Amino acid sequence: MTAVLPRRRLAALPATPRYLAGRIGQALLALFGVVTIVFFALRLSGDPARLLVPEGATAADIERVRDRLGLNDSLWHQYTTFLGHAVRGDLGYSYVQNRPATALLAERIPYTANLAVAALVLSLLFGVTVGAVTALRRGRWQERVLMPIVLAGQAMPAFWTGLLLVLAFSVGLRWLPSTGYDGPLSLILPSVTLASLSAAAIARVTRGAMLEQLAQDYVRTARAKGAGTWRLVTRHLARNTAIPVLTVAALELANLLGGAVVTEVIFAWPGLGQLTVQSVAARDFPVVQAIVLLASAVYVVVNLATDLLYGVIDRRVSTRGDSA
Amino acid sequence: MDPVERDHPGGRRRTVLACLAALATLATAACGIHPATAGRDPGTLVIDTANYPSTLDPGKQYDADTYAVYRNIFDQLLRRNPRTQALVPWIATSWRQTDATTWRFAIRRDVRFSDGSPLTAVDAAFSINRILDKKFASQQFANFSMISKATTDGADLVIHTARPAPTLLTYLTTLSVVPQHYVEKAGEQKFAAKPVGSGPYMLESATAGSQVALKANPLWWGPRTSVRAAVFRAVPSVASRVVDLQSRKADLATTLTPDAADQIKRDPKLAVLSTPTERIAYLAFNTIKGGPANDPRVRQAIAAAIDYNALIKNLQRGYAKPINSLLTPLAFGYDKALPDDRYDPATARRLVAQAGAKGRTVVMDTSPSFNPQIVQAIQADLAAVGLKVQIRSTDQPTYLKKVQDPGHNWGSLRFGRWSCACLDADGVIYPLFHTGGIWSSYTNPAFDRLVEQARTVIDPKRRTALYDEAFRILARDLPGLGLFQDYAIYGANSRVSWTPDAQESFYLDAMKVRR
Repeated sequence: MTAVLPRRRLAALPATPRYLAGRIGQALLALFGVVTIVFFALRLSGDPARLLVPEGATAADIERVRDRLGLNDSLWHQYTTFLGHAVRGDLGYSYVQNRPATALLAERIPYTANLAVAALVLSLLFGVTVGAVTALRRGRWQERVLMPIVLAGQAMPAFWTGLLLVLAFSVGLRWLPSTGYDGPLSLILPSVTLASLSAAAIARVTRGAMLEQLAQDYVRTARAKGAGTWRLVTRHLARNTAIPVLTVAALELANLLGGAVVTEVIFAWPGLGQLTVQSVAARDFPVVQAIVLLASAVYVVVNLATDLLYGVIDRRVSTRGDSA
Repeated sequence: MDPVERDHPGGRRRTVLACLAALATLATAACGIHPATAGRDPGTLVIDTANYPSTLDPGKQYDADTYAVYRNIFDQLLRRNPRTQALVPWIATSWRQTDATTWRFAIRRDVRFSDGSPLTAVDAAFSINRILDKKFASQQFANFSMISKATTDGADLVIHTARPAPTLLTYLTTLSVVPQHYVEKAGEQKFAAKPVGSGPYMLESATAGSQVALKANPLWWGPRTSVRAAVFRAVPSVASRVVDLQSRKADLATTLTPDAADQIKRDPKLAVLSTPTERIAYLAFNTIKGGPANDPRVRQAIAAAIDYNALIKNLQRGYAKPINSLLTPLAFGYDKALPDDRYDPATARRLVAQAGAKGRTVVMDTSPSFNPQIVQAIQADLAAVGLKVQIRSTDQPTYLKKVQDPGHNWGSLRFGRWSCACLDADGVIYPLFHTGGIWSSYTNPAFDRLVEQARTVIDPKRRTALYDEAFRILARDLPGLGLFQDYAIYGANSRVSWTPDAQESFYLDAMKVRR
């Protein structure tokens, strides 16, 4: 995206210990808040014991299951126990699978991480290219061809995109596997599906930022000095449009990691998204809590990292400035 | 962009593709995710189910997708003939009742678990007592709660019931025999992760959340199986299961909808395998606090207002059969004598008027788990006879909490599907309508007495008489009504030949696969 950053640029990070400590404190507070809300909301929303017993069960059978799961304790007792264990890294046992929630998550994270990273790379490649081309070729045929594609990508829901891709490439052509994970080829369709949403967002932001920069005086000056489009883009525009693009990309990554729910269900991808759907449907409280904790941690960390990265990229924060 | 770049679009694309491929490979390797299946052997059957099994411990969960996998790893005490539904020997070779509450089972001698150790009556007794153990908190407890304990006498298994228990044998078809020595040594967690059974298949590998691979157990006592290995894949979306069949990724897919069946029929290499099951689609009424439905005339009107054949033809697309009560003809206790031409909108309108319910609103509680098209069709049928229906849809746990609450503070009616996997009236009308049951919003002491008595009578003739009486009460009071008998729908490619059975058991050893 941008040229390799010189090492000394890191000196410009606003990362004083106090600033960092403050940000981390805020982050922990946010996590605590989210988990607390989810904890109580889950318990308002239905009884997992009823989903665990057979249809012919009696009220006594349900009580027995509730007892074993600790659901007959007072809410306050359940909550303090949960927090006490959570700080020690114990997020409880899945009601359905009877295994530690953290173990379930650990099995699923690699799948979702793979999918998310592949989708992000695809959407950056596509989004930045399309955004740049439509900005530089504004009003020409390139824009008229590409913009509808971008809009379509953003407008089509993932389940629709996914099914169309599967019908074409798995059922029709038999080139790619339709569901599950059977090696790198299996990654292609789900990551393209996921990328179709974020690529459109990135393309629009890139285009907007690029158009804004193109109206700046320095661009006119550079053009007057005879700079070609390629040189203009690589030397001047890339870095100046990077901030908004990076912000969107970071948020998209957090989105992708936090739950590519629909895509994972369509492609039977054994990641966190599918686990989320199953666990919410089964009211598997410990697993849902663990997922929410993880997802919010990802958001918080990605946001923090993005803020810190601004200093690296934005010339105005930097101590050293090129001609601007 | 730059003219030079534009002249060589191919070169650029290659670079991008190469980078992508490299990245995907790197990412995959770095994060440690492994392909679930490598090559496919022609004797291997790939099966799409909706969910990943919640456990492979047969004493724990009982849901259909979990059953489908583990009942192939373990042997059951008894089985049913898939065509006649008659009980047939399996691990128990013969059985007799020695007194009103004692049953004796001879155990097959030549059975070994996949670790080589022999299966004995001790293991069978252990498998039962384990489920009865309160500390183990088995979710299957309700199915075996009529048993007080299991013991052994020499090579025989002896089961003591708390009361005379006519449905004991039927539930023993769902009892998987586990090895006592291994379960005790391995502990709960390890047993569920690496189960050892005596069944026709053994665990090959499991990729959590994704798939379970089984292979034929060379020590199995039965005939050589046609399916040498099977991979159960969790594919939650119906559309994706259909696509897997169409793209030949899967050989067999379970839990399909009538729409999906229509789609599969269009592919000449695929077949729809379906069978009437003991599952019924039904309406239950809140006869206690159900508003207009408290009046039996309104319930009778609703029964006469519904166009059952239209539901079967248009929404189930023929994958259903009409029934005359809350039971299918497959189950013990089914009464052929009950009338089955119930659709009569003129009578329904008259009854609504008589009950003074014209224009009144009945609240229909439901959840997205129940086919919304059927719910809406019923709404339209009732509107045609002068009853307004307000559909109140909440998620499944909230719905269950509401309708199972002892306060009966839910709407007037609800739509549901029911199967006890027991082929017996006891498993249907007792839990649905016995006073105080979690599903029951109905109370009638005469009905209660009949179904309680039927639970303790062994003689089939006397039991039939009791159920006939009970069903007559239900037909009059109408706390619920059967809509249709449901089908199990599977999709398969032409390699597979298999006749699914009414109990929706999923025995791989009953399937044949063409290599």
